[in-house]
Amino acid sequence: MKDVETRPKKGEWIIVLTILFASLPLILGFALLIISSFSRDMVTDLSLDSFRPTIENWINVFQGRLAITGGIRQNILKITLNTLVVALGVSGIVTLISTLAGYSLSRMKFRGRKLMMLLLLMLHAFPGVALIVGVYLLYRLTFPQEPSFVRLYSFFYVILARAALEIPMSVWLMKGFFDTIPWEFEWSGIIDGASRIRVWRQIMLPLIKPGILAVALFGFLAGWQDLIYVRTFLIDQTLATFIEANIEAEYSHMPLIAAAGTLYLLPTIMFFLTAQQLLLQGYSGGIKG
Amino acid sequence: MKGEKLRNLSFFLSPMIIMVGLFYLIPLIFTIYISFTKMRNWNIERYLTEVVGLYNYQRLFHMFQHDPLMRTVLLTTVVFVGITLIINVFGGLLLALGTFFVNESSASTIRLLWLLPRMSPIAVYSLVWYYFFHGSDIGTLNSILMKLGVLSQPIPWGQIVPWGAWSVIIFVNGLVGVSFGMIVFTSALNQIPKELVIAARVDGASAWQISRRILIPMMKWHFLYVLTWQFLSLLTTYPHLFLLVQWDLVSRDYGTTLALYVYNTAFGRGEQDQGLAAAAAVLLSIIGILGGFVTLKVLQFEKMIHEPRGDIE
Repeated sequence: MKDVETRPKKGEWIIVLTILFASLPLILGFALLIISSFSRDMVTDLSLDSFRPTIENWINVFQGRLAITGGIRQNILKITLNTLVVALGVSGIVTLISTLAGYSLSRMKFRGRKLMMLLLLMLHAFPGVALIVGVYLLYRLTFPQEPSFVRLYSFFYVILARAALEIPMSVWLMKGFFDTIPWEFEWSGIIDGASRIRVWRQIMLPLIKPGILAVALFGFLAGWQDLIYVRTFLIDQTLATFIEANIEAEYSHMPLIAAAGTLYLLPTIMFFLTAQQLLLQGYSGGIKG
Repeated sequence: MKGEKLRNLSFFLSPMIIMVGLFYLIPLIFTIYISFTKMRNWNIERYLTEVVGLYNYQRLFHMFQHDPLMRTVLLTTVVFVGITLIINVFGGLLLALGTFFVNESSASTIRLLWLLPRMSPIAVYSLVWYYFFHGSDIGTLNSILMKLGVLSQPIPWGQIVPWGAWSVIIFVNGLVGVSFGMIVFTSALNQIPKELVIAARVDGASAWQISRRILIPMMKWHFLYVLTWQFLSLLTTYPHLFLLVQWDLVSRDYGTTLALYVYNTAFGRGEQDQGLAAAAAVLLSIIGILGGFVTLKVLQFEKMIHEPRGDIE
């Protein structure tokens, strides 16, 4: 893309076509899922006869009717809400903690700073999920005695534990965003006698808004898509565990699961259409450090 | 001044330190501890204090040597990590180079498309491939091959052992991992001075020659970085595999890597054995820590860290 004007134009479409051809299964797979959710039968067999348009699947999903016959009902709105609570919780915690820590790692001199940053980088590479046995023991040992708190506590715990997995990368990402802000802003505040905490809140935070947005977005997606932590710790269902549990059930109607899957995919598609630049920038920023 | 600095530092850093302590340090200690106990079925009251020494490790190594199921798991791990790693690194390199030579709008469309597997919810992404490789005639792959006349009846791809199952898990995870390499290599390509490419163009070099002689040699470090990073991530992540196995799309025996084995042994259906799972997790963690350490050393990350100039003191 940074290739220059001297580039020959004619070779270009060959490359684009080759890559698109390689991407075909990917495009096909997602397209068939979405189309199937509007059809009476799955269209994944690629035959036109299977496509009989209907919005029945979507109506059934919102009414929570899993099977065409029989009375199995689930409150899908509540399940979606659960997913949203986890996603927002993870996003909020990750954003807050990385905005705080990213600032001090970018701007303050202290002993152990280098070590801390290397450690964070290592934690980012470290198999966080391999520790899930220990994370579960901590969960069980801190489990509340009072039965009425149990469900609330499981939300609280899954949000914290899932957020912790995202923290090393987000802190590095946030530090990278703080690094781009010129020092003069900072100095002017300190010379006026403001404390570092005030400088952070009143000068830096407004300047760092795009970074905050990027980290919040990544946190949201991480919480929204999570399967393993949610199914291990959370008592209530989310969309991930809903799909997991119903795919192989005999009674479930396949296009209906496709509709639930498409519903689950909506935020991703929304971010795709609205925040492309932020996503590409965020991913590369997080890796460059 | 000293006290104020300490107060500031703890204000900024303590939330992060608490989180790291709670969800990395304590779980690591707990996992090591559980690996020395007889913990089963999460019966904490009964087994938490029942220390059995190295029993779980002995059992694990005995299984490595004699249990055919465990040997299958190890073999699957090696094949899965090895082949997926190659696909990830070279796929990412090809995509980055490919998008380097096309116009900006096509390039970012392609890049976004390939980010889709990483960004979409794990359950939805696995669902897509569940339908694609489904063993009946609703499976997309089966119906394509049947329409072409290659097959006369549907084949349950994931149940053909070993290569059917391996191909499916490698394919599904391969597509997720490609985007990581693509992004790293793309940002590396953007930092290469344009003059080099211009000079080569003026001399009449083709895209292939420019890639081979200029671009790829300049990305050696990035290549190593992607290789080690992706190795660790493939070794330790398992959510996609979990669903594919859970949904019976792929054979349980040949779709399970060591990381998934840890999870299923600790939290799966039926008899659970956390002592054994923790011992296997400790082994994985040791590989992970060593791998992370090697990455840092080889790439000399500490040189990337600059001293801040924020304090006026």
